Amino acid sequence: MTPVPSAPRPRWLSAIGLAGLLTMAVTVWLGLWITPPDVVQGNLARLLYIHPPIATVALYWAGGVAAAGSLLYLWPRTRSFFWDRLAASAVEVGAVFSALTLVTGSLWGRPVWGVWWTWDARLTSTALLLLLELGYMALRRVPADAAIRARRCAVAALLVAIDVPIVHFSVDWWQTLHQGGTILDPGFHLHVHGSMLWTLLLGFIAFTLIFVWLLGVRYRVEVLQDQVGDQELEVSLAERWREGDELTGVGGSGPRSSDGGAP
Amino acid sequence: MSYVDAGYASALGALFVYGIGLVLRRRRWERAARAAEATDGAAATAPGGPR
Repeated sequence: MTPVPSAPRPRWLSAIGLAGLLTMAVTVWLGLWITPPDVVQGNLARLLYIHPPIATVALYWAGGVAAAGSLLYLWPRTRSFFWDRLAASAVEVGAVFSALTLVTGSLWGRPVWGVWWTWDARLTSTALLLLLELGYMALRRVPADAAIRARRCAVAALLVAIDVPIVHFSVDWWQTLHQGGTILDPGFHLHVHGSMLWTLLLGFIAFTLIFVWLLGVRYRVEVLQDQVGDQELEVSLAERWREGDELTGVGGSGPRSSDGGAP
Repeated sequence: MSYVDAGYASALGALFVYGIGLVLRRRRWERAARAAEATDGAAATAPGGPR
C-alpha cells in the first residue's frame, strides 16, 4: 500500500476533525442538558443552538469560499485548478448545510409559527440557494474539458453567490415571518446572554470546524477524481496508440504526448 | 420524539452520514488512483506504449 503522492493527507485536517467532534459534543451537552429553557419558547429555544450556526456555515462560509474560489479561478493571474476544486467542494458541503438549515428551521417553525413551511422571503431564498447549489453540482457532472468545466462552474458559482446577500438581507428588504437579527441587532447589541450565549458561540465554532474538515476531505476527493480521470485518459490513449501501431505495423514512431497526440 | 430531539438527530445524523460517506469516497478514489498509477506505469513500459 503506497500513498497517493500528489495529494497527501494533511495531519492538521485530522486535528480539526477531532476538535470539531469534541466541540460538537460539548455543544450538544450544553444545549440539551445544561442551558435553561427560554422564558418565551421553553425548550424549543434549544434548537437555536444549532440552527443559526448551520445557516451561517451554509450561507457565509460555504458561499464565501465558493465565490472567492470561483473569482480567483476566473482571475487570470490567480487561475489554478486548486481554486476550482475548492469552490466545487464548498458548494457540495454547502448544499448539505443548506438542506439542514431548512430542516432544522422547519422543525423549529412548526411549533413556534404553526407551519412547517411558508413562502417567506428568508425561507424561499434559502430554498433557492439549495436548488442553485444542486444545479451547480449537476453542471459539474456534465462531461467537458477540465478548463472548460472549471470556467463554466466558476460562472455558475458566482450566480449561486448572488443569492447569498439576498438571503441575508431578505428579512430587511421584505416583511417576513422569519425574525430579523436575533443574536445581534443592527446596532450590534447582544440579545443572548449567559450560558445560552456561550453555548451558541460554541455551536458556531463546532459547526465551523466540522465544515472545514468536510471541505478538506471533499477537496481531496475532488483531487483524486481528477487525478484518476487523467490517468484513465492516459491509459486509454496508450491502448489506442498500441492498437493503431499494431494495425499499421509501425513499431516505433516519434514522441507522443497525451494532449498533443490524441487521435 | 420532541421537535428539539428531531432537530438535533437530523442535523447531527445527516452530518455524520455525509462525513462517513466522504471518507469512504476518499478511500475508494485513493484505491482507484493507486490502481490507475500501476496500470499507467505498466502501459508506459509496455512495447508500443506512450513514449
